[in-house]
Order: sequence, then C-alpha cells, then structure tokens
Amino acid sequence: MVAFTVNETPANVSVDPSKPLLWVLREDLGILGPKYGCGVAQCGACRVLIDGVSTPSCVMPVGSIAGASIVTVEGLADAQGNLSIVQQAWIEEQVPQCGFCQPGFLIAVTDLLRQNPNPTDAEIDAAITNICRCGTYPRIRRAIHRAAGTISQS
Amino acid sequence: MARLMSRRGFLMTGAALGGTALVAAVGGVGYLATVDVDGLDGFLDGDRAVLNAFLTIHDDGRVVINVPRAEMGQGIHTGLAMVVAEELELPFDDRIRVEFPTEAHPAYSTWFNVFQVRPEEASGPVVWAGRRVLGLLGFISTGASSSTMSLWHPMRVAGASARQMLIDAGAARLGVPASALVTRDGFVRHEASGRSLSYGELAAAAATLPPPADPVLKQRADWRLIGTRQQRVDLPAKVRGEPVYGMDVVLPDMLHAAIRHAPVFGARVSRIRNEADIRAEAGVLDVVIINERQVAIVAGSWWQAEQAAWQLDVAWAATADDATSSADLSRRIHAALDVAQPYEILDAGDAATIIDANAQSLVEATYEAPFVAHACMEPVNATVIVRDDGSAEAWVPSQGPVNIRVGVGTGAGWAGVEVASVISHVTMSGGAFGRRSDLDVVAQTAFLAARHRGRPVKLIWSREEDISRGLFRSHAAARLRMALGPDGLPLAYDAVVATQSVIQSVASRNLPFNPGPDGDRLAVEGLDKLHYALPARRVRSQDVASHMPIGLWRSNGYSFNTFFTESFIDECALAAGKDPIAYRRALLRERPRHLAVLDRVAELAGWGNAMAPGRGRGVAIEECYRSVVAQIAEVTVADDGEVRVDRIFCAIDAGLVINPDQVIAQIQGGALFGATSALMSEITVQSGAVVETNFHDFPIQRLANAPEVIVSIVESNEPPCGVGEPGVVPAAAAIANAIFAATGRRLRSLPLAVTETIGERRTRTVLAD
Repeated sequence: MVAFTVNETPANVSVDPSKPLLWVLREDLGILGPKYGCGVAQCGACRVLIDGVSTPSCVMPVGSIAGASIVTVEGLADAQGNLSIVQQAWIEEQVPQCGFCQPGFLIAVTDLLRQNPNPTDAEIDAAITNICRCGTYPRIRRAIHRAAGTISQS
Repeated sequence: MARLMSRRGFLMTGAALGGTALVAAVGGVGYLATVDVDGLDGFLDGDRAVLNAFLTIHDDGRVVINVPRAEMGQGIHTGLAMVVAEELELPFDDRIRVEFPTEAHPAYSTWFNVFQVRPEEASGPVVWAGRRVLGLLGFISTGASSSTMSLWHPMRVAGASARQMLIDAGAARLGVPASALVTRDGFVRHEASGRSLSYGELAAAAATLPPPADPVLKQRADWRLIGTRQQRVDLPAKVRGEPVYGMDVVLPDMLHAAIRHAPVFGARVSRIRNEADIRAEAGVLDVVIINERQVAIVAGSWWQAEQAAWQLDVAWAATADDATSSADLSRRIHAALDVAQPYEILDAGDAATIIDANAQSLVEATYEAPFVAHACMEPVNATVIVRDDGSAEAWVPSQGPVNIRVGVGTGAGWAGVEVASVISHVTMSGGAFGRRSDLDVVAQTAFLAARHRGRPVKLIWSREEDISRGLFRSHAAARLRMALGPDGLPLAYDAVVATQSVIQSVASRNLPFNPGPDGDRLAVEGLDKLHYALPARRVRSQDVASHMPIGLWRSNGYSFNTFFTESFIDECALAAGKDPIAYRRALLRERPRHLAVLDRVAELAGWGNAMAPGRGRGVAIEECYRSVVAQIAEVTVADDGEVRVDRIFCAIDAGLVINPDQVIAQIQGGALFGATSALMSEITVQSGAVVETNFHDFPIQRLANAPEVIVSIVESNEPPCGVGEPGVVPAAAAIANAIFAATGRRLRSLPLAVTETIGERRTRTVLAD
C-alpha cells in the first residue's frame, strides 16, 4: 500500500511498488493526462510535479513517492477550472498541434517559471528538454515568454 | 435511431442510383448533380436535427460539425468547421463541437487521393463512377495533405444548403417569402418586422425539407471567418490533459496487451522457449503468437503485459536476411542505379542524346537518403472489442476508418472469427505522419479481441517496438545529370532514382491486390522538376526490394527527391557561375506563381546580405500538394564541425488560406520535422535487424537545437492547397545548400551530420570528417 496525493486528492494504491508512477496514474487512478512516450525518461511526455519538482513519472517507482504531493496536467487549472497562466499562454500562442507531448511541457514549464519567473532563451534551452515531434518549439518559446510576462504583471 | 423523412435510403437504392448515373453519364454533370444522393438531406433523431452529412443542430442551439478526416495535429477540425460556419452564418464559438463521424457515408470519401482531383473539379461519368465505388467501399482516409483540398467545397455546399433549408423553414414559420429573410450569427431574421428565429428553433423543421438543388455560396467579399485567425477547437481539451487520444481509451472490463515483433522482418516464430514462465508472471492472462510472426502478452494492465514481454525468450526462424546490414542495403541501392533499363516515367526531348553530345558541360552527382522512422509521440496502439454476435467496435488513432474496418476483419480472420459489422471510432492521434494509415496494429488487436470475445483489448506497442519494428520511409539513391548550354542554363536533364516502392509495400499489407512497384508515383515525386524550364528531360526509377517494411511517411518521395534535385540545382548553378536564387529565377521565368514565392522568401531572408565566416544561407523550392513552397536556411558551422540551423525562412503559396495561423503552424512544424530528418534521422540495420530503439539513438531536435522558423503566406487565387507536408519538403536541400555556402563542402547523403550526446537529453550535430 502506497499513499500520496494527486491534484490534492488522497490516493492509496495496492500495487507492486516497482510499478512506475506513470502507470499507476494511468491504470490504477484513471488520470490520463500524463502520457507514455518513451518509458526511459527521454521525451518528457510523462512529466508530473512531485512535491513541486518536474519529474519523468515513467521511471519513478511508485514505492519511492509515499507521502508525496503529485500534480499532473489535470491539476494545473484552479478548483473552478480556470486555466493556469502557463496553460492560458499555450492557448493564446496556439501552441499544440497533435498535443500528445504538451502535458509534459506544461508541467516542465510550470516548474521552470516557479524557479525562474523570467527565464532567458538560454535558460529555457537548458531547462526544457522535452520532445515535440510536431515541431511546436517556436511557439513553446513564445508561450513561455508570454507566461513570464503575465507573471511579472501579477 | 428513428429516421424520419429521409430520402437517403430511397436514393441509395439501385433504381435511383442507376437513374442518377444515367443523368450524369448523358449530361456529363459534375459534382453538384451527385450531392443529393450523397446525403445532403436531413433527418430527425431525438433533440437533434441532422441537416446533412456534415451538420447537426440540437434544439438548444448546439451544433455538431462532422469532419471525416483525422485530427493528428494539422488543425483541420478547426479549418473545415470554419468553412461550414462561414456558409451557415454561424458564430464560431464553443457551441460548435467537431466530431469524426462513425458512419462511413459516401459523401466523406477521400477520392482526391485516388483521382488527384478536387470534387468540384471533376466531371463526367468515369469520375462519377469512381466516386460511387469509393463511397460504397467507405474509402475514408487522411493523407496526402488533401483534407482541406478535398472537403472544402463539399463542406461549403453543406453549409450553404443547410442555410437555405433554415431560411425556408423560417419563411414557413413566419409566413413571409424566403427572399425577405436573411441569416446572421445563428439566426434567421425578417428585417422588415424585426422578428428572428434561432437555428435551434428551426432545425427540426429545416431537416425535413428538401435540400436546395443548387445552393448559393457566399461571395468571397462577404466572408467573415475564412482567412481570419481562429483558435483551434481542440486546444482547450489538449491543454487540460483530457483523454482524447487512442492510448487514453478506457472501457469496462478492458484487457491490455503488449507485443514483440521479430527483430528481422519477415521471421516467423519457431517457439516461445519460456512460455510457461511467462504465463506465471503477475497479471498475465494469455500468451499467443499472432499470424505466425509476433508474440503478444495479454494481461490485466499494460505495465504487467510489457514487463512480461521483456522476459520473453522467443526462437525466431531463420530468414534470408539474417546477415543483411545497412552497408549491404546501400550497395544494393547504388547498384540499382546502374541497371540497363530502369522503368521509364518520363522522356521528353531526347535528353539522352543531348547529354551524350555535351559531355564537356555535364554536371553529374549521386545522392543518398537513409531509412527513417516516424516516431510519432503517441506510440502505435488500438483498442478493439469483438462480440459473440459477430459485431465489432474499434477505437484507433488512425488516419482513416477504412484501415480500421479492413484491419478488424483481417485480424479477427486470423483467429477464425468472421466479423459481421465494425463501428470505427477515429480518435485524436498523437502525431501520425503516414504511420497510422496502416492496418497492422488494428489487425493484431482484433486478433486478440477475437480470442477474448466480449472484452475490449487495448494493444500498445512499446516505444522500442514503435521505432525498431515499425514501418519506415524507404532509403533511396539518385543519379542526376544535367547538360548545360554555353549560358550555363540547362539543355537536358536526366534523373534515375533507386528506392523501394512504398505503394507496393503498403499494398502488400493493406490491399487485396498489388499494383507492383513500377511507376510508383510516390517514389518519383519531386524528381521531374516540371516547373523548371528544362528543354529535355528523362526521369526513370528502379525498384529495390528489401526485407524492410515501407510505409507512407510525411511527404514520401519529396522527402528525398527534393533533397536530391534541389541540391543538384545548386550544383548546376555553381557550375554555371550563377547565384542560386538568380539561377532558379531563370529556370522559373515562365512560372509567376513560383517566382512570387521565391522572391518572397529571398526578401524575407535578406538573401545577398553579407554573413559572417562559418555561416551560410541555402535555398530550395518545390511544387507539391498543389502548393508552391520555398525555404532559405541559415546555418552556422563551428571550427570543430558543429552545425546549427539558426533560422529557416519559408514562403508558401497554399492557395486560399482558411485559418492563416494554422497554415503557419503547419509550415513551422514541417520545417522542423524536415530539419530533424536532414541532420539527425537514420535507421540502420545490423544482422537483419534495426539498431535504433528509442529517442536516445533515434534523436529528435529539442528546444535547444530547434531553429526559429519564419513563415510568410503568399496571396493566391488558387483554391485551398495542401499544407501538412509542404513544410517538410525543401528543408533538407536548403540546409545542405547552406552548409555548402558556409563551408564549401557539398554533402550528398542524409543525414548531413552526426548526432553526439553531450549530456542528459542534450545533443549536438557535427559534420563528419
């Protein structure tokens, strides 16, 4: 039995503790926002916040996150359903194409802007290593700067 | 579902069909004469009024627009819904929902991809008959950048037809002539009296009226939506992480499956050495060989199935290709360039004789491109249920229900189960790029579902299976020759390409017949350079079979032939002592549409402005998918050979543009897809098996090495043209030409660079010595 919270809701699962958090979320908790893209922490589609830190959940054994607070893409909007600043920037810049990788980007960028509310392009390049096969990178970069601008005004 | 007042059933019967066919045959009537049998008539179903095959209006004003093409990132669900909303005078807001219909209606057929004509361009009984055949086959697929090209006119007609029906219903309700009514923002208004009725109020009455014989389309000057930036209808769900993809399908009582394919394509399973051990693994319910060639594990969860699959110890039968390597395949493809008589695609102006007579001025070069994978972000998957009564239902991120329906029948057949009916749900795709037009994963899943009747089975290929056991863009080589005149301009052009026929490979898996490899237009597209003024030209192709399974891949033949030919045009310009843009301008002197695009991209990029040492610009232009697209790449090559693409400028004449922001997005994404392929992508073979398995050895550009892409849309009088693939097409040649400008090195093989790992999830690309 492993206990933790997901998007502020308590979760209690009885699974093999070596099962990756990604598959516990998707198969045992029905939280489908985090995606399987590679299984080896290369692409970032599975990223979630674990105690606030952007982490590839596909290689994180659930047994090692007991007591942690997990936030998935579904948890970025507020309780009323209002999109987060980062999600709003994604809409305004019309970032996603197929969209499959974007939950991971939204998580990674949320963490980046928490640590560094106004990153330079070089800092963005260093921090955001997710893969997008559709090639939305130019819009992702613009959306990050837009979200940073919104944060600086708030 | 109760169908009231539907003329469709009647009109689809043989007698009526024959009558209309006769009219079409005698009169040579075009598309509009056929639409009334194709479902532009309505019916009622509960609170919804189906006005035609593309449009449903609910009592409460909600609107469902059917877009029978897969949304895999292109934005077509938005653009095509805009077309209906424009003609219907409907506000483009969140009351509109876009769906991929489950009914395989004839009006949805993708006949553009077969006949290469837009519906509204076609006329005559031959095309009409073809349309009927495709309609009856339910041939609905997404590809060849054709979705907007092939549906924009039918969906305009659908919107205009429904609008007229709503006006007629309003006229009856208000007791005024239809001519006294106007439509605006979802209402039918009687201006004289100020009375108005909403579409929701009128929809039920409108759906029972006959559709107009010749609906009046809006004039271009009256458009309010088309040509404006509209937000995509699918993005709110996508940024909230809602479960819209095939992989997200969850059904009651669902089983999960993982799979292992033979390392060497074509190998059969001899035996599973540790089957008893695998069956004892946690959660495993079934271990089974599929069609003699794959092993699947069915379990209570995918993670359990995949864990068990890693433990599999399979003995594969020997094949003739167990020792084949990339070097062997490369030798084979180069040898094919020397066959005595390649298949002749085109021979105009006696090119061979002119070339023989001008040996001194001959420019000749040989180029090569490797196998590459699709690597869609969503790995290949499908979910299928087969019930005891013979009905089946499938949920697949697929490029078309035709692949789903045929795939389910094929796979169930492997299990000895005959499927009587298939309901196909085309989900959103996490990328597709041609990969999802194959029935492979559908058939595998249907086989498993037929063994476990009554329970849905979801099969997901691991990323390793997806990259190394999937389908590939073929490798290719070409030898190009050009005889130049005293002014440096071409006298004759001679091209031969050697590649593995994609159509033959696709047909072998998906069709009951095989057209054979010769004349495969997807192998030679991009080779003929018909837009260039070449006084004589000869184009030939040679098929080179291999054990590798070839699939459709974003821009197919253009993805290598345009790299070959547009690199070669730069080599000819160099031999002629001409600037690459000036040289192309001379070759395009009778092509104003191409010149406009070329001039636009040159202006955008500041062609001719000085660049620092180690930097260079390269250009390429192509006509493809009815669009004309040109790119200029800017590269920097460091002293240690590191090559970076800094920016890609792109101009495109894509005809009429419906949602300009999404055309820009497609061209940006296409250019980056092309840049990754040009610099990084290569599938290699050792001992018959693909070496690459995941993103660590089949790398994709990330933010740190993705260039900025600046796009300019050239105004056009053409109807909508393709945009999904054109962005990919010029990228490789533009980058290779830029590297030449920066370094003086002419690179004739893809990928242009070697990818080095320089840290966790970080790479750089370096020119080989």
